[in-house]
Amino acid sequence: MKINISRQNIYLLALSILLLIFVFVFAFGLLIPEGKEYRTKRADLKKENVELRKYENFRDDVLEKLTELKSDNRHIIAAFDTSFDTQRFEKMHRTYFNSLTVQAMQNMDNQGKFSVYEVNTTSQINSPKSFYDFLDAVNKSDWIIGINFPINFKREAEMIRSSFTMKVYGIAKDTNTTDSNVSE
Amino acid sequence: MKYSYIKPRNKSLLTPELQLLFVFFGITIFMLFTTYAFLLFKDYRFTQDRLDIIEQREETSDEIDLIENRITFIKEEQRLSEDVFTKNTVLKDSISNMFDLVPQRITLSEAKLLENGLVLYGITPNKDIYNFMLQAPLRSIFHRTYSSFYPAQNGWLRFVSTNYIDKEEEMFEEVKKDTQDEDYDEEIEYED
Repeated sequence: MKINISRQNIYLLALSILLLIFVFVFAFGLLIPEGKEYRTKRADLKKENVELRKYENFRDDVLEKLTELKSDNRHIIAAFDTSFDTQRFEKMHRTYFNSLTVQAMQNMDNQGKFSVYEVNTTSQINSPKSFYDFLDAVNKSDWIIGINFPINFKREAEMIRSSFTMKVYGIAKDTNTTDSNVSE
Repeated sequence: MKYSYIKPRNKSLLTPELQLLFVFFGITIFMLFTTYAFLLFKDYRFTQDRLDIIEQREETSDEIDLIENRITFIKEEQRLSEDVFTKNTVLKDSISNMFDLVPQRITLSEAKLLENGLVLYGITPNKDIYNFMLQAPLRSIFHRTYSSFYPAQNGWLRFVSTNYIDKEEEMFEEVKKDTQDEDYDEEIEYED
């Protein structure tokens, strides 16, 4: 049996096969690997997105904690940030004493992140009650002040002369600049 | 000489079969290239997005570090201020206790509060009143108590009372107390 195929049909068949081979090579050589890469990258991106969301949620939690802490300790934070002013201190606490003299000492000590400023105080009081009221008021003042030993009480006629040193705590300058950069 | 009565048709290279073949493969190849271009573009976008996300994550991480540092710092401020406030309150109570300790018959002229001691200067009608009414309570508080007297012009006695707390002894007492508490707890557990 003789199969009669024209020459034109043979060309047509050859071209079809060539084009088909090209399609297969292109599909398997480039398209499918690229598709696989696409899927891998999409999965990676999804993973990164989940991770980022976790970080953002944690950041929001921590920020909320910071805001809460800041609002709870507003007075303390402001007190540490305020630099000590002897005249203002005298003006604020003069009511507890008959006379009050505050003298800033030059030496300033650093305790880690905090600076400590020593102040000499001499005063005259009517009764120890005034001193107790002063100690209560110091805890609510605009600065963090610790009354330091030695404390001296000496009777002078009807008055008591008291002399003591106070430690005023503040923030060491380098710490202040780095920590205040946090924005809400 | 003519062999046919009809006019011969023009033969073209693009036969209808070939045209069909080109259209078919043309559409196929176009779709393949479009898909490939789409994938390449998406890959590029994914890479860019991933880099952006990594950058954002690093920024968020830095932000978290800063916030945590700030929290730690505020907590340190809180701790220090609480320490200072507590010391002031304790000091107030100590001074109050000291003045309450002095009986009405004894008059103080000077009091020095030291970190580990107390020095009192004053005047007393006689030694017995001083010994029973002031020295006895002072002895119960301080580890070492020294007193010296010298006569005043009105026949009374001026005194200087120096009192110290030994820190080592205080620590020893605290440790002893803690140990006793632990023993007590153990006994309770044993009984259970």
